[in-house]
Amino acid sequence: MLLIGPAEMAHAHASEQGFVLLLPTDFYVAGGVAAVVLTILVIVAMPPNSARRIFRPASFGKSSRKNGAVVTSCLAFLIMLALLAIGLLGPHDPTRNALPLGFWTLFWVVFVILQGLLGNLWNWFNPWTGPYTVVRLLRLQPLARLPAGLGYWPALASFLAFSAFLLAHPAPSDPEGLALMTATYWSFHFVGMVVFGPKWLRRAEGLSVLLNNYASIAALGSCAGRFRIGLTGWKTLTRPAPAASLAVFMIATLAIGSFDGLNETFWWFGKIGINPLEFPGRTAVVGENLIGLVLVVPMLVLIYGLAVWLGVRIIGQHRQFQSAFCIFAPAILPIALAYHFAHYLPSFLVEIQFVARMFADTLHLPPIQVTTGFFNTIATVRVIWLSQAAAVVAGHVVAILLSHVLALNLFGSHRKAVVSQIPLTIFMVAYTFFGLWLLASPRGV
Amino acid sequence: MSKTSESKPPISRRSALKTLGVGAGAAALPMWARYANAQTSEPIRIGFQKHATGIGASYGRWYDRTSQAAVKMINAGGGINGRMVELVTEDDGTDPKRGAEVVEKFATQHKCDVAFGTLFSHVVIGSAPRAGELKLPYFVVSEGHHVASGMLNRYTLQPGITDVKSQVQAMAPFVASNLGKKVTMIFPDFAFGHDHRDYFSAAIEAQGGEVVQMIAIPPAETSFTKYFPKIPRETEVIYHVMVGPAVLTFVKELGEFFGPSRPEIFGFIDSLEAVDLASPGLEYLEGTYFWEGNPRYAQADQSEYDKNFRAAVGVDENGASVNDSKDISTYAHMFGCWETLNIIKAGMESSGYAGPQDRSKLIEAVEAITDIPHSNAHPQGAKLFNGKTHQVFGQQYITKVTNGKLILAHTAGIEDTLYPDEVDYTKQSF
Repeated sequence: MLLIGPAEMAHAHASEQGFVLLLPTDFYVAGGVAAVVLTILVIVAMPPNSARRIFRPASFGKSSRKNGAVVTSCLAFLIMLALLAIGLLGPHDPTRNALPLGFWTLFWVVFVILQGLLGNLWNWFNPWTGPYTVVRLLRLQPLARLPAGLGYWPALASFLAFSAFLLAHPAPSDPEGLALMTATYWSFHFVGMVVFGPKWLRRAEGLSVLLNNYASIAALGSCAGRFRIGLTGWKTLTRPAPAASLAVFMIATLAIGSFDGLNETFWWFGKIGINPLEFPGRTAVVGENLIGLVLVVPMLVLIYGLAVWLGVRIIGQHRQFQSAFCIFAPAILPIALAYHFAHYLPSFLVEIQFVARMFADTLHLPPIQVTTGFFNTIATVRVIWLSQAAAVVAGHVVAILLSHVLALNLFGSHRKAVVSQIPLTIFMVAYTFFGLWLLASPRGV
Repeated sequence: MSKTSESKPPISRRSALKTLGVGAGAAALPMWARYANAQTSEPIRIGFQKHATGIGASYGRWYDRTSQAAVKMINAGGGINGRMVELVTEDDGTDPKRGAEVVEKFATQHKCDVAFGTLFSHVVIGSAPRAGELKLPYFVVSEGHHVASGMLNRYTLQPGITDVKSQVQAMAPFVASNLGKKVTMIFPDFAFGHDHRDYFSAAIEAQGGEVVQMIAIPPAETSFTKYFPKIPRETEVIYHVMVGPAVLTFVKELGEFFGPSRPEIFGFIDSLEAVDLASPGLEYLEGTYFWEGNPRYAQADQSEYDKNFRAAVGVDENGASVNDSKDISTYAHMFGCWETLNIIKAGMESSGYAGPQDRSKLIEAVEAITDIPHSNAHPQGAKLFNGKTHQVFGQQYITKVTNGKLILAHTAGIEDTLYPDEVDYTKQSF
């Protein structure tokens, strides 16, 4: 049987799960963890300049500063309005309504991943900056200053609220409910922008901060007037370290992404005393999901912080703890993006067909019959599973490499960098195991 | 099994047949007249409570596909009482609380004439009280015994699919006389498995057999080898109803445990609904038997009605989507949607249903239905509706895995599925 919410829109297909249980996932997990461990051994043996060279981007052509983002943002705003109208007035079936499909499948899965690979598309397509620029034409000035001391904490609160909707709301893909939530979320942050100026979007709106973070590790980007392409994370090395509140936001992203997989496992259902074969529905686990969400963020921040603290302590640089905490945090982002891909891949394969069917129905093209046949053979399930696992392993490998180069830049010596990274490296190996275990675990929804 | 109570339904069979005659009369109108009427009237709005998300979503997709096909066929034939039928689909998230909200939306917001289509028992049980309060006829397609047990209300009916109690008990005569009398039951340790445990152990005893061991498996179990030594040596038949992601592992480990010298094995297709029998490990099921609500594979004696049903829904002779041979349908259950929509049509036509003010007349008309002939409207087979218990009874199929396909071995007659009435909903006021 299948999915819930966003990932739940097409999920937990019994046969897919059944095949995963038949796959030799123990070997795959061991292989994945071994690949990460091997990366660490290579790093230990690698001269510092070679490590830095891995992240050196290739350039290809001049980047221009020309900016049509106001127009495209206005367009995105109009598309959002149309989707809201469809959400309120269109089909009630979330698999046939453009709003849940547009929001959960095309935006939350596809757009977020593209942002993490291609760079700051959000700058062009967010639905706020265009309308805000129009409002500014009316000579409306910000009414107040967003206190600098707030840092990115408002954005974290906003992202937690969004995550609570994603994880704990009984019906996140109900078109009508989603329309109201989207309208509320947009309006709240638009008012925030009007009152506090565009800084609001950069520091208080959770999705923008999430997407800016992902853009900051994208393979594509521009630097010093030229377009460049390099290994995920190269841009991080060209930027200043994030503020502490932004670093916490980055770790929270991984924590929430991980919980949004953990809360579907038989293990979790055992913890909350629910029979996974008789799942009583999301309304029955709202409290459990909220508590899980609230616990998992500080827990991971604490574990990460402890690993960083131990690292700087070993090399006798414990005064550097706060800067190390902030400097290394972006290395978590490739893992979070990989989890995002891995978690949503199976449901995406079904939901993108809902999207195609919706377009076909709207344009009176020949009807499209949605299939889940690829969950029904071991060969295709193996390809899907290994793609998810490959993403998780690649995310960790990049994270370890990036973290090492950041440590080289901070501490200046190869030995100090390697030794300081030991606890963080152990954390990442353990997290690789956890991520692969999640993929291999039987799920109830 | 002996027949149920002898008391008469509130509307006699004669008047029911008469109403069928009215339906036939409407059908005899010239096609253009029916269309003309259909296009000028408001459509009949049927609220479809769909498991679009949640644990029921793989069923929901096929229930949707079947229901859309049924509505298309009904509309192509002129609709109901000259009005087109429109499905108003709402997702219930396979969630009882949302189910009740959806029923409420159907009644108050979408102005639906009836609600229809729920599969998962807990959603039916969560939604039916609200349907009763709102006086909205609620046609479920769930297999649960909750309708006939008397737990629900006059507004809830199950006229398109048989209930688990009748299915299970109808298996006992075949099992006892063909496979063996000493049965070990292996079932998941929750309500679904307990229903099988209780109904089958009673039914096999009535056939002179006995359940020699009951092995209840914790629902979250994913490895089963440790349970198999509990199967007594004297076991002649293993009766299994495992469900969930670990089913394939269960069959594989059962094969590894017994090897070629196994007892007879009988199971319910619920374990492998929508799963390809060509899946690895399932080769061990060759020569074993399954209950099927409707045979997934087109049989040698396939009826024209089944042929028509498959073509309309887009299912091939192997029970897979015509668009993808690996996309296996929920064939043992989804006919229930098709048949239920046709019962709604028959009920509305015989009651002269014109709008929500006629909802109680519609229920009385459905309660008056008794014999339901095998037809394009009822491709799974002939049925007998019990107006008192709001539950339909029908034949059950036992198929044997032969060369990787499920081939019909036995058809249990309707008489094997009957049991004494446990409720008389017609005594409840509207």
